[in-house]
Amino acid sequence: MPTKILSVDDSRTIRLIVARAFRPYDCQICEASNGEEGLAVAAREKPDLILLDVTMPVMDGVTMLTKLKEDPALKPIPVIMLTAESGRENVLLIARLGVRDYLVKPFKEEQLVEKTRRVVTLQKKATATQPVT
Amino acid sequence: MNAQAQSLDIRQLLNKHVAEVFQTMLSLHAVPQSHSPFPLFGDRVTGSVGLGGDIVTGALYLHMPSRLAQRITGAMLRLSAGEFGEAEINDVLGEITNMLTGHLKSCLCDAGAPCAVSIPSIIRGSSYQVETLPDVRRELLLFHCEADPLAVEVHLKFN
Repeated sequence: MPTKILSVDDSRTIRLIVARAFRPYDCQICEASNGEEGLAVAAREKPDLILLDVTMPVMDGVTMLTKLKEDPALKPIPVIMLTAESGRENVLLIARLGVRDYLVKPFKEEQLVEKTRRVVTLQKKATATQPVT
Repeated sequence: MNAQAQSLDIRQLLNKHVAEVFQTMLSLHAVPQSHSPFPLFGDRVTGSVGLGGDIVTGALYLHMPSRLAQRITGAMLRLSAGEFGEAEINDVLGEITNMLTGHLKSCLCDAGAPCAVSIPSIIRGSSYQVETLPDVRRELLLFHCEADPLAVEVHLKFN
């Protein structure tokens, strides 16, 4: 079974970077562009992990996380926040909301994979081997 | 009035962070330039993100020539020119501007001036300038990136 990761970010660029980072691994990436969509996709797909942006239109990441933690079915899903804000106030707010970890933008893809590996199992995709002649 | 927030060295904070964002996300060098007039960009793209709170309001603008915006988009998405269009350029520029403003917001919040950031917007054109109203503090930081000019303009008003 591939590890299912939900990427919630209003930026297509960040969603693309997330998808690219996990390409070498046996992962299924689901996407949503705001918190409202994110809750719907989380309920439908039951991901193993949610990577969640903070500032988004329609519903921001903090509101989505609060609603997620209020839903007994979705509450156990671990969340890593992706945020452009590294300040003390922001980190304390995120910690209080019960996220598993956070990653400050800018980030390298390897950092994202490393943080994710601490929360869920990542298996490298099997590489195709040359047939023996 | 918040003395600690007002005394933040915006230039120092952003000079370092601009270089870090460009290096980490794009593998490009943004090299700070000494104070000089606002660059002549020709066709220009500007990313903008607003800041708003009870103590401070303002915005951060990231200006660059269109050809650099294309180069940055290619570097971020790992695509060559022709494989992406204006929508991708807007998204990449918006995200870079968001990262810069997020850092500024964090510094302001930690200095006692809590504020929120807006979602990014993009301006395109060849002849425009962002003017300040009275009592607005303006900082202009200039860089060179891949032989092109790059400017970060910050407007802050403290209540």
